[in-house]
Amino acid sequence: MPSVQLFATCLGDLVLPDAVADAETLLRRAGFDVVFPRRQVCCGQPAFNAGHHAAARRVARGFVRAFSRDLPIVVPSGSCATMASHYLPELVGVEPFEVWELSAFLVHARFRPLPRNTGRRVAYHDSCHMLRELNVSAQPRKLLRASGAELVQFVRPDLCCGFGGTFSVRQPEVSAAMADEKLAGSGGATIVTSDPGCLMHLRGRAERVGGPPVVHLASALVGSAGG
Amino acid sequence: MAELAQPSGRFREIARIKLADAHIQQALDDSTIRLRTHRLDAWSALPEVQELRERAHEIRMSVIDDLDGHVERFTAALAARGGNVYFARTADEASEYVANVCRRRGAKLAAKSKSMVSEEIGLNQALEAVGTKAVETDLGEYILQLAGEHPVHIVAPAIEKTAEDVAELLSAVRGKKIPPHLEDLTNAARTQLRETFLNADVGITGVNFAVSETGSICLCTNEGNGRLVSSIPPVHVAIMGMERLVPTTADLAVLLKLLARSGTGQKLTVYTTLLTGPRRAGEVDGPEELHVVILDNGRTNLLRGRYREMLACIRCGACLNVCPVYRKTGGAAYSDVYSGPMGAVLLPLLVGLQQAPSLPHASSLCGACTEACPVKIPLHELLLDLRRDLVAERVAPWTERVAFALWSWAWSRPLGYRLSTALARLGQPLAGLVGPGRAWARVRALPRLGRRYRDRR
Amino acid sequence: MRDEAEHEALSGGVTLVEQFVANAEAVGCHVHRRTGPDIEGAGVSTALYGLADTGSVVLAAAPDEPRRNSLLPDVHVTMLAEDRILPGLDELFAALGPDLPSALAIVTGPSRSADIEQKLAVGVHGPREVHVVLLPPA
Repeated sequence: MPSVQLFATCLGDLVLPDAVADAETLLRRAGFDVVFPRRQVCCGQPAFNAGHHAAARRVARGFVRAFSRDLPIVVPSGSCATMASHYLPELVGVEPFEVWELSAFLVHARFRPLPRNTGRRVAYHDSCHMLRELNVSAQPRKLLRASGAELVQFVRPDLCCGFGGTFSVRQPEVSAAMADEKLAGSGGATIVTSDPGCLMHLRGRAERVGGPPVVHLASALVGSAGG
Repeated sequence: MAELAQPSGRFREIARIKLADAHIQQALDDSTIRLRTHRLDAWSALPEVQELRERAHEIRMSVIDDLDGHVERFTAALAARGGNVYFARTADEASEYVANVCRRRGAKLAAKSKSMVSEEIGLNQALEAVGTKAVETDLGEYILQLAGEHPVHIVAPAIEKTAEDVAELLSAVRGKKIPPHLEDLTNAARTQLRETFLNADVGITGVNFAVSETGSICLCTNEGNGRLVSSIPPVHVAIMGMERLVPTTADLAVLLKLLARSGTGQKLTVYTTLLTGPRRAGEVDGPEELHVVILDNGRTNLLRGRYREMLACIRCGACLNVCPVYRKTGGAAYSDVYSGPMGAVLLPLLVGLQQAPSLPHASSLCGACTEACPVKIPLHELLLDLRRDLVAERVAPWTERVAFALWSWAWSRPLGYRLSTALARLGQPLAGLVGPGRAWARVRALPRLGRRYRDRR
Repeated sequence: MRDEAEHEALSGGVTLVEQFVANAEAVGCHVHRRTGPDIEGAGVSTALYGLADTGSVVLAAAPDEPRRNSLLPDVHVTMLAEDRILPGLDELFAALGPDLPSALAIVTGPSRSADIEQKLAVGVHGPREVHVVLLPPA
């Protein structure tokens, strides 16, 4: 049986453990043995995007120590997948790893999700890294449709949700206004996203001012409403 | 240039004011959506657009690589046609030169056509000091000048003003009541400004592009005021940032094909005018004197460094129209001159990071700006580089640097991660009270820390 | 300067003249054949070239072509010989060479602005109406 390494990401590990569990479930259903390197912590992105290069490098070295190069690494996060694949190698001075964002990997592995979402309307939110740097936008939609969901388009699918890492706390009012636009833009349909950062931000805002449910792609495909 | 400085709290302060104004939010929405859609339509109707973008980038970079050479060639070519060229190292040198021209001519009235650079150097104030009144003639800029305000968008400067606002301002100036209807307002402005064009002693314009081979300057407007200002008054002064040069007219064509399409979706602005020297023998109009002021004001510093690509900017406004942050805050939050993604990059480079520390962070780094830029400036990458410089130059507060250092020390090893997150879980009730947790909790529910994934496995 | 066949070959079926007319009308110009409108107070000019892909007329300042004729009046009438219509900017600058007039105005439609509430206003400072009179080749 082929194997993959799972990178939970810090947000996944701490804030969205159910979504990470769902990601693991999907990978097993796809026929893979899932290895969880226990030394993993974080890819360093929070510091990297805030301009704290040395801090980011320190943390990123931990990633290099934790993961093997023998197996592909699968990540249920578009932004962390981008960081680990595009920026981390140069930051630390190592050869690139084989890093896959979850939906890209599942489609590549020809995985067909169970039709758990028949009759459900969902709006898929592209996180900026996945959309513009990984160019992965068709795969999540393909998987959602295969699971029976009816996809609703955001009025402005290109617009950032307003998380942006430290931006969310440096400019909280603007960040919240951007979230409000997203939450209103799904027309009441559940919002599905592949990024824990976007998810935490949108769900947190919805809890404060009202809005549709916001779930991780992995949870949507498993058919649970989980976190 | 002190007015361009952005104290660190200013962006957030102004953003909050604009967010609370429903009319401004609607205006920002309408205008950015409209301009973005027009650009996308224009780009998709141009099969060679990606190739043009690549060529435009190369042309701009080739000039940046030999800017001194191009300035020299331009100066020689224009001098041969009887034009005056003045190279201003600083904003003050530029303003002084123009003020002296006005003073020498005894100029009481200067008619101005759009020039961001003239705002950058604070020209209008310098002219007032020598007794020359400068009147803006772009409709939007004129309205703002009457209101005593600054432009908030590169190509749509007065997007926040309603017809009622405009009617009030124009009525005061005309001395009679003008109804808030578009046709009446346009006629009133046209009549009022017609006098300015006809009576101005000096015409002042910006420059969209300058051609070094021929010594020509190119002005692009839709209203016709650029042509009027450079044709009727006896003196024409054109002010340009030194990076506006292109080598030949063939290169100019590449940029002209992109400029209007990217800014407003038009194939060309209504008036695209190429001026080469003052009037020639036998001509009955056109300026007797043409002065081109080439402004450095910090641009040379950028030529060899990591930020040189920013000098390629053609001021089209495409990045403003796709920016998810700009559409919420408008331009004033960034500065009185340059705003949106290009402003967030350019302003700290011109005034120094110390004077504009929050601008590189006034962005969620979504990358839409880079996608929209006709000359392929990697704007969001430059913003990230500026953030690094903020840390490296110790402009970022020491508390922030210490926090990230501690965080990285803890999170570079599994045990440090476990301990710090266990503490965080214990301290959850307090998280909303201090620091980032507090800022987060202002507007969102805090995420709950439960059992980590790794502990469930 | 170019004959019909060359026009045809260049634009795959649609002649340069037809292209010019379509684009000029699309930006709000009135296009006439052979004779122009008789409008009192109109400024009259002779265009140096026309650009087919944008519907623009190209005016060069000269002793017998004052700039103000196409600028100050409410109505601007310009005479353009059909064989002076070029495909676009590239051909224009190639035809002009390095010897440029003091002012070369590429005019694409009547004066306009969208500065008030993003609504389109015509005839802001320059002419409200532009009439192009197409003349047969010399």
